Amino acid sequence: MLELEIAHTWPDFHLELQLTIGAELIVLFGRSGSGKSLTLRTVAGLFRPAFGRVVLNGRVLFDSQSGVNLPPQARRVGYVPQGYALFPHLTVFENVAYGLRGPSAEIHRRVMEWLDRVGLADLAGRRPHQLSGGQQQRVALARALAIQPDVLLLDEPLSALDAPTRSELQTLIRNLQRQLNIPILFVTHNLAEAVLLADRIAVLERGRLLQVGPPKEVLHHPARVEVARLVGVRNLLRGQVRGLDPEGLRLLIGERELRARPNPLVPPLPAGAEVLACIRAEHIAIVRPDRPLPPERENLLEGEIIGEMDYGLARALFFRLHGPRLTPDRDYDVEIEVPPYIYERLGLDRIRCWTIAIRPESIHLIPAGSE
Amino acid sequence: MDWFPFLLSAQVATLATGINLVVGIAIGWLLARRSFPGRDLLGAIVTIPLVLPPTVLGYCLLIALGRASPIGQALEALGVPLVFTWRGAVVAAAVSSLPLMVQSCRAAFEGVDPELEQVARTLGRSEWEVFRTITLPLAWRVILAGMILSFARALGDFGATLMVAGNIPGRTQTLAIAVYDAVQANDLTRAGILVTILSIFGILTLVAVQQLGRRLVA
Repeated sequence: MLELEIAHTWPDFHLELQLTIGAELIVLFGRSGSGKSLTLRTVAGLFRPAFGRVVLNGRVLFDSQSGVNLPPQARRVGYVPQGYALFPHLTVFENVAYGLRGPSAEIHRRVMEWLDRVGLADLAGRRPHQLSGGQQQRVALARALAIQPDVLLLDEPLSALDAPTRSELQTLIRNLQRQLNIPILFVTHNLAEAVLLADRIAVLERGRLLQVGPPKEVLHHPARVEVARLVGVRNLLRGQVRGLDPEGLRLLIGERELRARPNPLVPPLPAGAEVLACIRAEHIAIVRPDRPLPPERENLLEGEIIGEMDYGLARALFFRLHGPRLTPDRDYDVEIEVPPYIYERLGLDRIRCWTIAIRPESIHLIPAGSE
Repeated sequence: MDWFPFLLSAQVATLATGINLVVGIAIGWLLARRSFPGRDLLGAIVTIPLVLPPTVLGYCLLIALGRASPIGQALEALGVPLVFTWRGAVVAAAVSSLPLMVQSCRAAFEGVDPELEQVARTLGRSEWEVFRTITLPLAWRVILAGMILSFARALGDFGATLMVAGNIPGRTQTLAIAVYDAVQANDLTRAGILVTILSIFGILTLVAVQQLGRRLVA
């Protein structure tokens, strides 16, 4: 278990966070410059914050109050920085053996065991520059894990790799996490990677933790508008709570009334409360004329497609309502995302007027003023 | 032909380079890797021999190490006086070539990614082990180039050596001083031979440094 408390102020930046991590993979997610790498470096003992505490399995690594600050050598952390930092003048074997002590037969056994685990046993004699990016990352992982660390710190480990290699290494890291049973801090700014790998995601923005929770929670119940933006919520609509009845919440958004579910993460919102309604673009359905209409309790809205963007694997449609609007000050009301085959099948390029359906449980509410 | 100046110069330059290797690595590492008050001042002090006239440098050394100074008196008491001995020539050559060595070492250490050292620390290796197994092996080529330059500079020192060690044939007369001496004595043949040898050595040195530099890039 890793207990972490950091506070440090620069002239133009303030880092302050508190986090407790069990034997899980926690993703530090945020833009570059949000303080993710600094957090890792604090745990490794490579950065000393003005205030804070780092306690690993009950062992105090750093405590600004009592003045304890163990050097990196004494911390037992496995650290893989961005760019891997393999020692260029040493072979793969020597890199992995670098942190090991003891009889050489024992070192040889442990190095080969780790090279085998990361699938590089036959490349032990190579130099780092003779390896591909994915192989270099495997060596860096083996080197960090060979010392049997109490925590593993991975700084953007996969961001420089091509998609197939990245996917292989994601599987490797997930498997290692299950076998090792130690806390892993994994820094990334890639949302899909965060969701795929994380037991919990910690969202960082400008040096502060905005939300910590399982991927589903962060994706579907962002606690703040910044989190909603970071996790790719493209519809953020201002509104007001009208009231709560057994069917759910009644919301006024623009000139329309919509139904929503209460946010399980915040206290019930009273009537009159100002809210931001988050609706993921891919959660808005286009009602097909050849299928029965969805149940009445869904929000059914008529309108037309006034613009679109082709992302290749998905189409974004900009949808403007007929009659009362959700966002009267903008030319479209909601952004909808559909896969290309739906786009083709429904002929969305020709037929522009449609009814859309938004399930109440797809509308997530954030109390306004948390911005 | 009197070979003494060759032997003396080789000995002086070798010893001066040896001293500079240790001092240059230490100061170059401090300048590259540590921030402390007075770092820029230290950088300036070790560079100053490059911009001062050699006679000024020699004068300073003469005052600092001469019979009247505490250092000079202490050395005399120990039986190793510096001024007007070949040891004085070593000190003069070392000080005047130190800037080249320090600058090379500083550049060499700055060229080593600090992240490599940091990772080495997290892997449990002591500061000295990190320096010995990571920093130095990755920096040694540039340091070697600095050593060669520094050796050539030490070999060719004239002004500072003349001020500190004097011009005593058979005792403190180095190659560079022997050239001056030969010209003064109107022995232009001897001067020509010495100049040719010194020039060839200088060119070979620079060729070697460039080759080291190229292998570094490759």
